[in-house]
Amino acid sequence: MKYVEYINELIRNKILEKEKIVVFGQNIAAGSCLGGLTRNLKVREGGLIINTQNSENTLCGVGFGLMLGKVASIYFMKQQDFLLLGIDQLVNTYNFIRRKNPETSFTIFPIIVDNGYQGLQSSLNNFGDFCSIARVPGFAVTNKADAEKIINSQLLSPGFRIIGVSQRLFGQKVLDAKPVYINQEGTVFQYKEGKRATIACFNFSFSYGLGLQERLKEKGLESSLFSVNSMTRTNWSRIIEDAGETQNLILIDDSKSENLSCYALASDIMSQCQLKNKIIVKRELSKNWLWPNPDLLEIDYKKIIEQLS
Amino acid sequence: MQNYDLEIAKEVLRIRLSQMIVNEKYKEGVFKIPIHLAMGHEAIAVAVSSVMQGDDQLLVSHRNIHYNLARTKALNPELDEYLLRENGLAGGQLGSMNLANEEKNIVYASSILGNNLPVASGLALAKKVKREKSIVIVETGDGAIEEGAFYESLLFMKSNNLSVLIVIENNGWSLATKIKERRCDINLDKIAEALSVKYEKLSSNNVYEYIDKLKFLKEYSLENKIPVIVEVELTTLGGWHLKTPENPEGRFINYHAGPAPEINLENGPEIESSENDPVFVLAKLFEKDVFQKMSQEILGELRKETER
Repeated sequence: MKYVEYINELIRNKILEKEKIVVFGQNIAAGSCLGGLTRNLKVREGGLIINTQNSENTLCGVGFGLMLGKVASIYFMKQQDFLLLGIDQLVNTYNFIRRKNPETSFTIFPIIVDNGYQGLQSSLNNFGDFCSIARVPGFAVTNKADAEKIINSQLLSPGFRIIGVSQRLFGQKVLDAKPVYINQEGTVFQYKEGKRATIACFNFSFSYGLGLQERLKEKGLESSLFSVNSMTRTNWSRIIEDAGETQNLILIDDSKSENLSCYALASDIMSQCQLKNKIIVKRELSKNWLWPNPDLLEIDYKKIIEQLS
Repeated sequence: MQNYDLEIAKEVLRIRLSQMIVNEKYKEGVFKIPIHLAMGHEAIAVAVSSVMQGDDQLLVSHRNIHYNLARTKALNPELDEYLLRENGLAGGQLGSMNLANEEKNIVYASSILGNNLPVASGLALAKKVKREKSIVIVETGDGAIEEGAFYESLLFMKSNNLSVLIVIENNGWSLATKIKERRCDINLDKIAEALSVKYEKLSSNNVYEYIDKLKFLKEYSLENKIPVIVEVELTTLGGWHLKTPENPEGRFINYHAGPAPEINLENGPEIESSENDPVFVLAKLFEKDVFQKMSQEILGELRKETER
């Protein structure tokens, strides 16, 4: 099953659990239904599915107004860069609402357009910075296990959050890795345990981390594999503990932020552990970052393997 | 003279005198937060509060003192909030520009121009989902109608058949700039017409007329499931003339926020002897001695309330 099909199925089932829910967004029930993300959505009697106008600021405010009116809602968004128009609502309105532990749920569900060739808006498809500026929880969905955990526990829970999905992964087979550990917050997943290296993946980079873990294993280097699915600082004590034992840390972050979340983890680990190797794999901005390009994270597996061998 | 509801007149006077007391304290420098007084805005605030019933909900802007006074019916909780005390209206957490009072159905206040209009749209949609027969009233100003959120929200409300009263307090100024100094006219009636939304202008400063009009417009909005724009032309009283070497005769500074230096409580509730002042308009409806007595009684009650 493809990544987008799996997420669509989870969303459809979850929405049917809730009475009087409002699901809204541009083209969510028309055309491709956001590339299949919102295909065949149905709500229970009394709920609404609204194919909306193109007014992102107002649509963010509508979600918060519904929250104040004690009606749960989800706002699906075709491209995360559109969310820039609603940043005032994410910050100012939610700051007003969150003073009193809201009873109702509002989730914005954007597609992070990270599949390249987006031109000038590319740098705004940058999930972490939106969560940071508004100090709101954000969850990246990268595979079968985290999709199930995040959508089932977060999509309709009281409060506000952003759940992001990767356009780059839409057409790919959904990765099926079994977690051996999930932190209490549901933001850090561990999939493999090993003594030679600690790999921590941020944003939507889990597939790269899984690829690296498999290549290291082929060379006899067993490594621990983590995914940090939170967009902001979280409880990552397990990763710190693991890095303290392996003393070889590899951080992979495919976000387009200038303030990568992985830097915060690196800082925490460096202040607590002695490392032999610290490798950070991130996007290197080329001089043509302003115009359409493949925009892919490049990872030199061979070089990393040589460094750890 | 026609018999007018005395309680309504008392409310206008109470809100005026309460603000004048806040102004006196403001002049003494007791507040650390910015407060936007709304002297001259009392008639519309009393009218809005009067037509609210049951689960009707009100959203206000940064200049919200008059609506909070009208709904809360007391000065001390608001004063304490401005002093950031724990026993303030919002526990000292909201100060002035975001001051709401959920218990009295002021459910949201925003310090950002136009920000409350999208939130009002969502609240009205929640009422539609829950099949509630009450209305959402959102107060904003002439500055906010320059924001995209105003047009976007109107479009959303109309497209989704939502009942909302949009009260636009138009005082003709943005900080120290007159509307005509910064932009072309916005014909709200034409915008309303373009979106098939109802529009009404209020400008008399007569609180009784405002109540009658708002009652009608509220019912109209609920019955027809459409938003209604109510533009209220008013004057924010408290401007003064600032003399500088460049302007030795003094340049008029329109009141925006902070204390109003030339307004004194000892001069009584009327600030301007013209139709710009809702208290002046109100006074004409009553015998002079009746009005003065009423005013003195209210001031006495407020002094007693604020004696600590």
